[in-house]
Amino acid sequence: MSADPSGRSEAEDAASQEPPEGEPDARFTFANERTFLAWNRTALALIVAGLAIVQLLPPFTGVPAGRHMLAVPLIVFGALVSIGSFVEWGRNQRALRRGEPLPRSPLPRVLSITVAVLAFVAVVVVLLSAVLE
Amino acid sequence: MTREDMEDLDPGLARERTELAWIRTAISFGALGGVVLKWSPVAGAVILGMSALVYLLGRLVRPAGREGTAEHRGALLLMTIAVTVVALTALTTIFVTPGGRLPLP
Repeated sequence: MSADPSGRSEAEDAASQEPPEGEPDARFTFANERTFLAWNRTALALIVAGLAIVQLLPPFTGVPAGRHMLAVPLIVFGALVSIGSFVEWGRNQRALRRGEPLPRSPLPRVLSITVAVLAFVAVVVVLLSAVLE
Repeated sequence: MTREDMEDLDPGLARERTELAWIRTAISFGALGGVVLKWSPVAGAVILGMSALVYLLGRLVRPAGREGTAEHRGALLLMTIAVTVVALTALTTIFVTPGGRLPLP
């Protein structure tokens, strides 16, 4: 550990190097909050989709757990999207307060990949059910 | 109230648009509650209650016509918890209700 002539600890130095935080423009804060709410509506849509698959579709012939294979990941992912959007909101708000560029969000990519994979699984389950009928 | 006053109070109508976003979210909760009500009346009623809470949360954190801090971390955390609770309720519903039970081997 190197001796600092000014007598300040490394932790104090690190804290002093962090950019100063200020109250961001209210318009940006509101826009961040609206984005958070939009992600939560997306999360609710995923949960509804999961519920509808189990409650509205008849069981797949030959694939008794087919509906649950599709519904459970959708519902769990809905909860994860909601939690992720809260984390994302916090990161964006911190960047706004520090006047830094907004961090890149992984949520759109994760959502696209998950929906694509579940669509593929749905096709496989439907085809398998048709073959086994 | 002049146009300048309005612009000072709510720049770009951001506050109003955010309030509408809260209302849309409350309606989404209401729609989901209505759907769940069909298969599980208790869970549906809980989610419908959450819809009212989300609407009130949107109104309470941002009283119309008053200045205040724009950031409300607690309200957004409550919202996240509400959606997670709804997801857990949905998971329970699909395994417990007669139409959703997995067939025994």
